This record gives sequence, C-alpha cells and structure tokens, in this order.
Amino acid sequence: MLSIRDLHAQIGARKILKGVNLAVRPGEVHAIMGPNGSGKSTLASVLAGREGYEVTRGTVEYLGRDLLAMEPEDRARAGVFLAFQYPVEIPGVNNAYLLKAALNAVRKQRGESELDAFDFLSMVRDKMKLMQMDESFLSRGVNEGFSGGEKKRNEILQMAVLEPKLAVLDETDSGLDIDALRVVSNGVNSLRSGERAIVLVTHYQRLLDYIEPDYVHVLSDGRILKSGDRSLALELEKRGYDWVRQEAQVA
Amino acid sequence: MSAVAHAEPLAPYRAAYEAASLGESGTQAFRKAAFARFAEVGFPAAREEAWKYTSLRRLETRKFALPDASASLPDRADLPAPLADHVVVMLNGVLQPRLATLDRLPAGLRVRSLGQAMRDGEPLGALLRVPSGGGTERFAALNAALCPDLLVIDVDPGARPDDALHVVLFATGAAAEMTHPRILVRAAAGSVARIILDHQGDDAAERFVNAFVDVEVGPDAALHLYRLQSQGGRSFQIERIDATVGQRGSFLMHDAQLGGSLARLDLNTRLVAPGAATELTGVFLADGSRHLDTHALVDHLAPDTRSLLDYRGVAAGRGRAVFNGKAVVHPGAQKSHARQSSRNLLLTPGAEIDTKPELEIYADDVQCSHGATTGQLDPAALFYLRSRGLTAVEARSALTRAFAGAVLSRMDLPRFATAVHAALDGRLDRLLENSA
Repeated sequence: MLSIRDLHAQIGARKILKGVNLAVRPGEVHAIMGPNGSGKSTLASVLAGREGYEVTRGTVEYLGRDLLAMEPEDRARAGVFLAFQYPVEIPGVNNAYLLKAALNAVRKQRGESELDAFDFLSMVRDKMKLMQMDESFLSRGVNEGFSGGEKKRNEILQMAVLEPKLAVLDETDSGLDIDALRVVSNGVNSLRSGERAIVLVTHYQRLLDYIEPDYVHVLSDGRILKSGDRSLALELEKRGYDWVRQEAQVA
Repeated sequence: MSAVAHAEPLAPYRAAYEAASLGESGTQAFRKAAFARFAEVGFPAAREEAWKYTSLRRLETRKFALPDASASLPDRADLPAPLADHVVVMLNGVLQPRLATLDRLPAGLRVRSLGQAMRDGEPLGALLRVPSGGGTERFAALNAALCPDLLVIDVDPGARPDDALHVVLFATGAAAEMTHPRILVRAAAGSVARIILDHQGDDAAERFVNAFVDVEVGPDAALHLYRLQSQGGRSFQIERIDATVGQRGSFLMHDAQLGGSLARLDLNTRLVAPGAATELTGVFLADGSRHLDTHALVDHLAPDTRSLLDYRGVAAGRGRAVFNGKAVVHPGAQKSHARQSSRNLLLTPGAEIDTKPELEIYADDVQCSHGATTGQLDPAALFYLRSRGLTAVEARSALTRAFAGAVLSRMDLPRFATAVHAALDGRLDRLLENSA
C-alpha cells in the first residue's frame, strides 16, 4: 500500500530525513518511535503534503501512485489521513461543515453519492458516541476552544467519518490523560481492519499498550535504525534510545 | 489650493447647477448657499489628510450631468427583491410613490417627500442641512444644492414598527450621470425601528452617486440601520451618514460596502447626551480594481456614552481599501467607553488595505481600546482543511467566509443578512477561483 524508499527531506537547509525506507501493507499497524528531533513528525508531514518540506531524494508510492506528486487534498481524497499533532483551531468554520465537506469530497472520489443531511447526521452521531464527544461540538468552530484531549478526539472522529485507507497518527497520544488515551485508542482500534493501514508516530510506548502494533521502527537522526515487533517497544521503554544508536554505529 | 486649480473640475457641476430646475420652489436660496459652499471648498487637494489614501483625480476628470428627467425609469421588476414588508424606492434620488408600499406602512412610521414635508411646514434649514467639517462636507453641500428630492422617514414617539423598512436607492440611465439621493431619518423618543439602505445601480453607464443621510435618534430610541452598497462596477459612490444620538438612545449600524469602482463612506456619529450609544459594524470587499474607503468618526460629547466600531475588510486582485476609525472623547465625557477593532485580510499580494485606528481622549475617566490587524489567510489552517480533502479554493473560501462571518453573524435581520451573504458569496467564489 505504502512504499517509502530512500526518502530524504529538509526544511530550508536543515536536512531532517536522511534515507527512510518503509513498506506498509493493508491491515498492518506500524509504530514509528524515536527521540525528539529524530524526524518522526517530518515524515508524517511529508506524507500528508505539508508545505515547507523539500524532498531531495527518494520516492513514496501509495497504491501504485507517486504520493509526493499529489496535492494534499488529492491525497486525502485517495484515502490518506493525517491526525495532527497540533490540530488547528479554525473559528468561523464549523465542525459539521468540515466533516460534511471532507466526507463528500472523499465519497465523490470513491464514486459514491453525497450523503443527505439526515444520513450524515445519524452516521456522525454514532461516531461521536464512540469518541465520547457531545453533539454540541458539531456546531462549534473547528477545534475552537477545544481542550487538548478534545482536539485529539476530534481528529479520530474525523478519521472515523472519513474511513481512510492509510491513517498516519502524529503523536496522537501527546497531552492526553489516561482516560482520554483510552477513548482515543478505542476509536483507533475500532478502525483497524484488513483493508486499512495505520502508522502511529509516537515518542512513548504507552500508546502501544492500547493500540498494539504489528511492527515497531526506531527512527533516529532521519533514518530507521531498527525494526522489530511489539517487544522492541518494550525494550525501548526499559533501555531508552541510546543503545539503538550505539548498536547502529557498531554495525 | 488656488481657486484656479479647482475651477475646471467644478465646471460641470456649476453647469448642472445653473441649468437645473430642481423640485420645490422656495429651496433656491438654500441651494444657492449650498452650492457656494461646495464651490468654496472644492475637490480635495493632494495633501488633505481625510483623502490621504483616496485620490479623486479620476472623478475630477469626469463630466457628469444631472439625470434626464424624461427618461423612462425601471419598473418594480427591474429592482432588487424586497428585503422587508415595507419598501420605498428612490430612483436617481427621487421618491417613487408608485413603487412604494406607502399605503400600508405600519402605524408610527411615516414616509414623505421633500414637497410634502415643506407643505407640512417643516423648516428648510432642517430638511436640507449642510453639515460642516470632515472630508465629505463638500459633497454633502453639493448634495444639498442638487438633490431632486428628500426622503423623510419619521418614526413616531414610542413606535415599534413590526418589520424593517427597505429603502431601495437605485441609480439608472444610459448616460454618464450623477445622482444625489438624500434621506432624513428621525427616530423619536422611545421608538425602535430598522431601516435598510440598499444602494444599487445598473452598469449601463459610468455614474456618480453622491448620497447624504441625516439621522436623528431621540431619547431612549433605537435605530438600526442596515446598509448594503452594491453599486455597479463603473460607479463612483460617495456617501455621508451623519447621526446624532440623544439621551440613552442607540444607533446601530450594519454596513456592507461591496460595490462601485471607487466608493467612500463617511460615517459621523455624535453621542450628544448621557447614555447615548452606537455600534458600527461592517464588512468591505475590495476585489478587482475596486477602491473602497470607509471613514468612521464617533464623537463622545456627553458622559456615559459608549461606542463600538468593528469592521472587517477583505482585499484581493488589485483592490485597495482604506479604513479610518476615530473616536474622540471630548472634555466632560467622563465614564465613556470607546472600543475599536479593524481587522483586514489580503487575499492576493497585489491588494492593499490601509487601516488607521485613532483615539483622541480629552477626559480622564474613560475606557478606550483599539486594535488593527492586516494579514493573510493562515497557512496552517489552509493545510488543515486541504488535508481533509477540501480543494485549495474551497479552503480559501471557507476561511475567507469565516473571517467576514464574524461581523456578518451580527446582522440580526435575516433577509438582509441573506442578501449580503449572497452578494459576498458570488464575488468570493469568482475571485478565489481566479486567485487559485
């Protein structure tokens, strides 16, 4: 589904990704872990098409297409979803409008008709219950005045509504208390399926207690230094990141 | 500022004045004095502060005549749809009883022409007042000299008409003409009324609309004025609205300055008695090569007076906008509050908005604040929306509407708000498609 080969990216003159290789197949959950500044969020941003990042080498293939050549909205319509580390507050654009416009854009791409207001609302209500969000959120501005936890839940609500093929969750666990983490994880787990791939970008292994990954990768200084299964995350929890770097230097 | 330098641009106006046989007899002396005042002040010199960012050179080169009174005028079907139960139409500045719902106006709301008001014994000095001061004094004087009629709207003491009065001010004609619509609104003590001023015109010719609106708000009265200026794209539109607010009275204005090639609005509000208040909120959209200039001045002349000035402006293409908001708290106007906010959005690099909030305070126990910002759409918000599947145009459109919406959402008259939204939406769609 997703194939990243030798990806190099920089912001201005600062090189951040220095040859990332990663293959993700449908149904898989990958966790990308790493210390601060290792390039985790840059990788997520490059996949979603955020401006300001220059890809200097490498390719990203998504469902047989050159992902890097696609506009951000075309990626979204093709089933790529980024849950933001810092969801943006947009006063005056209401949540219901955004959900509906986003869903209809995706449905159009899939060759489906637009949902009418009734079907849309009943579907969104169900998903809001799952995320334990009050319906009043619908009429509020996008993320406007939301707490940190509410913003993260809202991201997963959008993901649940849009049903992406590839979801990239950028530090979705950061700033969450244990209850919110459970709600967000439940939401993500409910979206696990054989057709959907999920890439979790996280600093802490705590999230992986709730969302069990099939693969764990350690990103450090712009490269994936080590890959393994769930047990790698537990080892990182115990030993930190330094030993991976030392091991890589020796190798 | 020699008389010679001003002589040439004034010539067409003098010719129009001398050839005119305007409306009611008995007004000649007033008109003569008014024209003399216009001629004395003349067009603004390049250094005049009130016209610092707006040049009238283009207007000065034009030779507009007064409308041909014998030309056939449009019918109701050609005019904008009614935005209220009660409609009054002025075509080229002349009240059209045949197009108005004068026979079924609500109790307590009276509408008269200049002639009727004169026959009722109203003093001309009040009807055709020439205000003094400000950058548009000259044009108010010209209006008094050349206005063919006057729309007198009276709200009786304590009256609360059920629906708004929709005043359509329509400019039309095949030739390059100037019109001078004039309105006097008097909201008597304790009354509450809503009036829509709807400036429109056909685009058959370049024209000059020079409007003057005199507003008196009595004690404990509330007057809501909703203004939609969507003049044709070839028009010069200059308008002055002077409002005087009495004890505990309030003047609430909602403005949408959208049309014309060059448009200037001077909004002068005088809070003359304790407890008087005003809220002036508005939006302007300078797209294409449009030039829009809004000058809002509030004079706090008594204690316990309050003003709020809240404008949002959008410019795109080669559009240019000017916003000058000024609150003056005069000596003795203690315990007054003056708040001002001017927020502006530039959609394209070629557009320009000059905003200048000013406060002049001559009392020591007051609360005043002002803020002005000019910026572009937030790239983080644009990316967020696009990452959800909205196109760049849709994302820009949603954010631009949200920006203007903060002011529009306060337009508490649904049919008016709908009309403003419709006018804005069409324009925003086009300009965002073009700038994408």
